[in-house]
Formats: sequence, structure tokens, C-alpha cells
Amino acid sequence: MAVPVHVPRVNNNDDEVKLVELKVAVGDAVRAGQVLGCVETDKAMVDIESPSDGFVLAVQGEIDTQVVVGTVLLWLGAGVDEAVPQPAAPVSAGAADDGVRQAPTAKALALLRQHGLRADDVRASGERLSADDVRQHVAARGARAPAGAAAKVVAQATPPSEAGLPVALNGNERGMLHTVSWQRQAAVPGYIELSYDHAAWEAHAAAYGQQHQLLLNPLLPLMAWRLVELVAQQRRANATLVGEQRFEYTAVNLGFSVQAGDTLYLAVLRQAAQRGRTGFVQDLVDLQRRAAAHELQPGELQGATVGFSSMSRWKVSRHVPILAPNTALMVAHTVGADSTGVLGATYDHRVLHGGDVATLLRKLGTVPKA
Amino acid sequence: MNLDAHAIEAAIKAQIIAIADTLGCDASDLPSDEVIPATGLIDSAGLLELIAWFEKTYDFRVPASELTIDNLGTLSAMAVYLRRRKGLA
Repeated sequence: MAVPVHVPRVNNNDDEVKLVELKVAVGDAVRAGQVLGCVETDKAMVDIESPSDGFVLAVQGEIDTQVVVGTVLLWLGAGVDEAVPQPAAPVSAGAADDGVRQAPTAKALALLRQHGLRADDVRASGERLSADDVRQHVAARGARAPAGAAAKVVAQATPPSEAGLPVALNGNERGMLHTVSWQRQAAVPGYIELSYDHAAWEAHAAAYGQQHQLLLNPLLPLMAWRLVELVAQQRRANATLVGEQRFEYTAVNLGFSVQAGDTLYLAVLRQAAQRGRTGFVQDLVDLQRRAAAHELQPGELQGATVGFSSMSRWKVSRHVPILAPNTALMVAHTVGADSTGVLGATYDHRVLHGGDVATLLRKLGTVPKA
Repeated sequence: MNLDAHAIEAAIKAQIIAIADTLGCDASDLPSDEVIPATGLIDSAGLLELIAWFEKTYDFRVPASELTIDNLGTLSAMAVYLRRRKGLA
């Protein structure tokens, strides 16, 4: 689905800002965190960063013109041929099916702009279009959390005083910077861990691998599948916070960390709960293969709603993972040098509390019955 | 590109040694007929890295259905499989 990039607010007094620079054009591939353009007011200039990887589908602003804060400036998509939604026209009272409709409420108006919608796109439950109407519309079409939640990159602006040379970050490094910045600025992370019976899980995976004649150990895909099952049942673990509301995702899109040479990917398997265990394991292995070959598509690097990361290959005793943007849970798996299995989780304390996470981890650590 | 079976095995072994080294393991004594996943020298992610290298180096694709111990489980099996796919055996 196309993702809108909105005109940011630079300060409280300016509802319009000047678009002074656009660094991309329709058809360009972009990375999460990449600077797409720049807007300014009399007081400040602000970069507009891409909320995700993808391709530029449409540009709805012109250089050196005033643009309205909150309106859609660009549309991004997973592929270059993706359809562009109707541009967000100025929202005004429109004719309803059965007569004249009053203007949306202020909150509804803000949400419409946030999601790049028009008032006419959403059916009002009462005389006026309300914020709840917009939220229900967005939820019904399986929308993502608002892309405007993109974090400004947290980085030192000036070089240190000691001698050195600046080296530009590559796309993946910029993506990681964006992810870390989101957690730093938007989430309130907590961390919990507990040990689990690794030998029992290994035996379970070995039996599965033998049954399906697998070359690769299916342990991690099977544990990831169990996580998918659990968060599908516990919806608040598959959510993020938007304003003062919990945004529960319709689908479970599993982000699975894959180390490919020097590159760390969070490869995303969408609609994971719908695949069934066997299909999920096959599809996750295929996704890992393409990650290892650096062949992932932009759409496979974005949209995670929950995450799973293992550092068992490094035999670390603990690792505290970073939350993917707009998620509330990233499970961390490892097996230490002494063969102790450890399941940890970084979680957004605004969405989940420690008891939720401990219960989920304990269930995840228990081999499911056949 | 040398598609002699011994040359293929040597190239694969060199790659396994490099991957195992990043994990703190020494794979220099890996025999040709040892089942690679069972050695513990490289994990699943390492195997995926090896397969990605295998496909790129020899310019072919391993279908998911052929990702089995019989085809790719040992150095010698990998060489035999590649030569068969290239029409040399």
C-alpha cells in the first residue's frame, strides 16, 4: 500500500512552509531515513526524511512554493508501478449520500490529512465525520501506522575536535540509524529475559527437520512461527502507539533479523499468521536466502509489526535488541556458550507491561504440543 | 571457472573456512564427506550465506525443493550436485 510523506510542522505558528528543495523524483528508489527534501520558514529549515524503503510514486509540491503543513507531499510505494491514491485535496464539507454533510471535526480533519484521505472517502456515522470514523476506516482497510511517526535522526551535528575523516553511511546503515533514532525518540523501551529449555526446542526442531528432510536447522523459523501464533492471540503485542491510542495491527508482519556478510537486515514476512506452520517455515527460509544474497525487495524491508532476532550464532549470553519503528515488541533469542537458552525482549512500555512480555516469553520458551 | 570436482570442493571449503572463522570456529580440517550442518562449524545463517555464494559464484539457482542434505550436505555432494546441474555428470 502506498505510504504518504507529509509536510512537517516546523513551528507552532506556521501552518504553511516553503518547499525549498526536493532531492527525489518520481520513480526514484529511496531508503528509510534518506533525506527527500527540505522545507523552511522564516525561523528554521527542516529536512524531510523517508519513513521507509520504497519508490517515489508521486510528488505533490513544487519548489519555492508554500505547502500546507500535514498535507501529503510525496507518495512512496513498495514498487514503482503501485497505484497512487487520490491526492489529499483541501478537505471541506461534501455532499453525503443523502444530502449535505457538515465539515469534519478538527480531530477528524487532522487524521484525514495524516493518512492522505479525503473527507468523501470516509463514511460518517453521524452528522459530522468524526475521528473515530476515520480510525475505523483506516483499520478496515488494513492501514499502517501513520508514516508521520518517522523519527528525526539522532546524530551529532558537528565533528569531534580530534582529526578524522567523515565517511558517508550506506543505505542500510542509515536505516539502522533511523531505527535506533525512532526507539530513542518515540518509544519507552523496557527489557525482560528468561531462560528456556533449549534442548527441548532443539529436539523438536530436529524432528521437524528430519520429517521434512531439511538442510537447514528449522529451530529459529519454528520459534518465530510460535511467536507469530502468540502475538496473533495477544493483539497488544502486535501494536504501536499513535497519539494516545494503541494502534493494533490487523496482520502480523514478522520482522526477522538476518546477518548477511556485513549487512544486518530486518527482513519482513507479511501476513505471517495466514501461512500455516509449514508454509511459514518455507517462506521464512526463502526470505532468509534472498537476504543472504542481498536480493530483498523494498517491500520486504519495511512494515514489520513485531520482531524476532537471534544472536545464538555468536553464542552471546544476552543481547538487547532495538525495536523496529512502529512496533512494541522485539524478541531476542540466544544460546550461550554453556548451551543455556535465553529469550529476551525489548518492548515499548507505552504499549506493553512487563507481565505481558514475561508471560509471552514463557509460552514461547515452551515447545508447543503436537 | 574450474568445474573439476576437486577444484569445486576446494573453493567451497575455502568459503566455509571463511564463514566459520567469523564464528570463531576452525573448519580447515573439514573432510569432504562430513555432513556440514552436523559439524556445528557453521549455523543455518552461515549455510544460507554459503548457498548464496555458491549460486553467485557458479551462476545457477538451487530450487527450494533441492535444498536437501543429499544435494548440499557435504563438500563432495555439493560438487556432484553442481556438476550435475551444469551437465557435467
